[in-house]
Amino acid sequence: MSKTPLWLKILAQGSAGLVLAFLCLPILAVIPASFNKASFIALPPLAYSSRWYEAFIADAEWRNALLASLHVAVIATLVAVVFGTAAAMGLHRADGRWRSLLTGLFLAPMIVPVIVTAVAVYRSALDVGLSGTPVGLGLAHALLALPFVVINVGIALRGVEENWLRAAAGLGAGPWTIFRTVTLPNITPGIVAGAIFSFITSFDEVVVAVFLAGYANKTLPVKIWESIRLEFTPVVAVAATLMIILAVVLFALAQFLTKSAGRRTA
Amino acid sequence: MNRGLPLRFAAAAKSYGEVQALKPTDLEVRDGEFLTLLGPSGSGKTTLLNLAAGYLEPSGGRIFIGERDVTDLPARRRNIGMVFQNYALFPHMTVAGNVAYGLTVRRRPRDEIARRVAAALAMVRLEEYGSRRIQELSGGQQQRVALARAIVIEPDVLLMDEPLGALDKQLRRQVQLELRRLHEEHRRTTIYVTHDQEEALVLSDRVAVMRDGRIEQLGSASDLYDKPVNAFVAGFIGESNLLPAKVTSLEGGEANVAIGAFAQNATVPAADGLNPGDDALLLIRPEHVRIDREGLAAEITEVVYLGELTAFHLRLAGGATLWGRQITNQALQRGMPVKVSWERAAARIVPKD
Amino acid sequence: MKRRHIETLLLLAPAVIFLGLAFVAPLARLFSLAFTDEAGMFSTFSTLIDSEVYRRVMVNTFLVAFAVALITVLLAWPVAYILTRLKGFWFAFALYGVLFPFWISVLVRTFSWMILLERNGPLNRFLINIGITDKPLSLLFNDTGVMIGMVHVLLPYAILPLYGAMLRIDQRLLLASDGLGAGLFDTFRRIYFPLCLPGLVGGATFVFLLSLGFFITPALLGGSNAITLSMLIASFINDRLAWSLAAAGSLILLVIVLALLAVTARFLPFGKGVYAR
Repeated sequence: MSKTPLWLKILAQGSAGLVLAFLCLPILAVIPASFNKASFIALPPLAYSSRWYEAFIADAEWRNALLASLHVAVIATLVAVVFGTAAAMGLHRADGRWRSLLTGLFLAPMIVPVIVTAVAVYRSALDVGLSGTPVGLGLAHALLALPFVVINVGIALRGVEENWLRAAAGLGAGPWTIFRTVTLPNITPGIVAGAIFSFITSFDEVVVAVFLAGYANKTLPVKIWESIRLEFTPVVAVAATLMIILAVVLFALAQFLTKSAGRRTA
Repeated sequence: MNRGLPLRFAAAAKSYGEVQALKPTDLEVRDGEFLTLLGPSGSGKTTLLNLAAGYLEPSGGRIFIGERDVTDLPARRRNIGMVFQNYALFPHMTVAGNVAYGLTVRRRPRDEIARRVAAALAMVRLEEYGSRRIQELSGGQQQRVALARAIVIEPDVLLMDEPLGALDKQLRRQVQLELRRLHEEHRRTTIYVTHDQEEALVLSDRVAVMRDGRIEQLGSASDLYDKPVNAFVAGFIGESNLLPAKVTSLEGGEANVAIGAFAQNATVPAADGLNPGDDALLLIRPEHVRIDREGLAAEITEVVYLGELTAFHLRLAGGATLWGRQITNQALQRGMPVKVSWERAAARIVPKD
Repeated sequence: MKRRHIETLLLLAPAVIFLGLAFVAPLARLFSLAFTDEAGMFSTFSTLIDSEVYRRVMVNTFLVAFAVALITVLLAWPVAYILTRLKGFWFAFALYGVLFPFWISVLVRTFSWMILLERNGPLNRFLINIGITDKPLSLLFNDTGVMIGMVHVLLPYAILPLYGAMLRIDQRLLLASDGLGAGLFDTFRRIYFPLCLPGLVGGATFVFLLSLGFFITPALLGGSNAITLSMLIASFINDRLAWSLAAAGSLILLVIVLALLAVTARFLPFGKGVYAR
């Protein structure tokens, strides 16, 4: 087909390369910073050591923050996946006006600015005594994760043909059997993707957590947030590096699962 | 009045790595001629058209429009009018905006553009539709907008890539006649790509039948039908019975052949490249098969009612089979024993592939 | 009621009740605080609007969001374009380059920029070394830092809708334009650009909306020198326990976001076709 002139090709590829570098490289800056020997953050470090990793492990506050994050993320993921999957199936069956209305409701936590959600949820959590508890924060995070589950399962459901369900019913299967043997196997990739999104959403979340976590229940991002503002030592870079590693693992997992799901259906 | 230039391919070829989409091809399209490239998909017809348009670069050979060597010119410098399959109309512009486009980018004055767009729309009978959006038009109307857009720039050559492919059969007939009317009025050099043999016969001055990246035969519709050069062309244009035969002798432009299946001899016009002793195929068109009082014994194995005509399938005593066609006649019935003959003068031989 | 309807209702109920209790009710409760100040029903809003300081915060929030939206679409353009052109390994490489940052916590990314933009940080040293400046520039704790960080975080949101729009463009339209005699610039201006426009507007609006409510990045990179509306809301609660002002600020922010959303909904990427069976 018609050729793109060389100068345009070079210009496009060159500038795209620069923008991609701008997108990806700065993220990695925390990794060398975490191996600094000095007690202040410097890039590149003058001398390398793993002393801040040892400091991270030795410090009960950091350890507890990591555990609190995992705890909260598990609660949030479970709630979001169960409610979100059911909701997506309900939406899929609902008709017309109800469907668009409810879709708007389910996606609303994605649209309302997080600071507004955070302040509102904080106020109500104070009222009912859920502030500062893992359950309170887990539920709040489930709220933010819910749209991802609804969207992913919704997309997966569109791949389940109505005729398969009719065929199963015609062969004598009841609604629960149809769900278990026909619908569920086909939407599992969507549910898993939604679960991974939910987990990472909760694990990374700062704004709601800063308000809701309370003193005894700081998650890793909250601890990082406070440390940045108070001490700014390389141990923050260690925590940030750990978060990058976790994100990369989950990202790879999600890619792998969607790829292998794609192969199975292809 | 001829409003076009001749277009010439000189050993034009296109290959993608090992695959030859178009073998070196010579072809001259005369000025004012309507030439159709006919062939199955993958035969190289669209490749040839895209080489003419400048959307593909040839891997060998040259292309001339008039006296000008356009091989190295991009499409925008060739002054061609292209009608795409599915039209490629600009969805964000009105009908008039689409038609005006080629003039707008040529920086013609506003009033001239308005005048020529109106004239072009009138020519395709869409005067009232200038301000419509493309999405509001039917398939047939979109096709006409695409045509108006291509001819409003007064192209030296008009190129059409299966322009009627997206239309239903009824509409296709109608647009074919419309295209022929427009061509007869304006006599613009035109290359037309299709895989529909009927369309090719209706529209064209000449047809190039293509297969596997080369032109098998170039000629008028009647040339192709009456004197196909090989079994492929015979099979692609119209319907045919092809019977194995052997050339026994040549005599002043005539060939004597032995038809194995009938245990008979026949005399037919000689064909290029066929010498005594060669295996050949005898071509008998179904309309030349006759059920008669005299002839070979046969049995009717199938009768297909086509309205005005009835097609029938015959098995001869020797086991050979033939399709025939005649004006509908109640007398034909399956299983009926009949005598068969064919119009000797209309039979042809072609080389065995 | 038919059995099927009851089933549908049972499927929807948990999420609806959950959102009702944990989202809609808290929002309603918060916004009610905005109207229950002792000084009068609308006193919180007049406090926010009459104050020179608060007005500046709101204007600053808008300006930063506008600049960020503008810069992101400019930077998104070449990346979206080459994504439509690349194939195989390089396509995957570029696509992962866009998607990878999505997975990294905004907090981590912002922290990275704090390290890079420091007064004696690598970027300033680099700029001094190549002679662009002889004194370190102040890139942190002002609008410059905020914009760099926000552009970085929000860029993928601009790239993906634009890429989608470019992908939907029928390549034959460009060939048709070429064949009709249009040069590269005409084809771009009259065909390619107008057809990219929905994606461009969608991406820019999305980025703008997200920018308005951004909290972490401006809080860390801007500090007290570049306060945005969301930082103001947080400080009402944390520093002054002024719930009614925080509520009023939240309501203003939400109303602006929803109003913009209503105007530009048709360009936005989410929900589009997600539930169209």
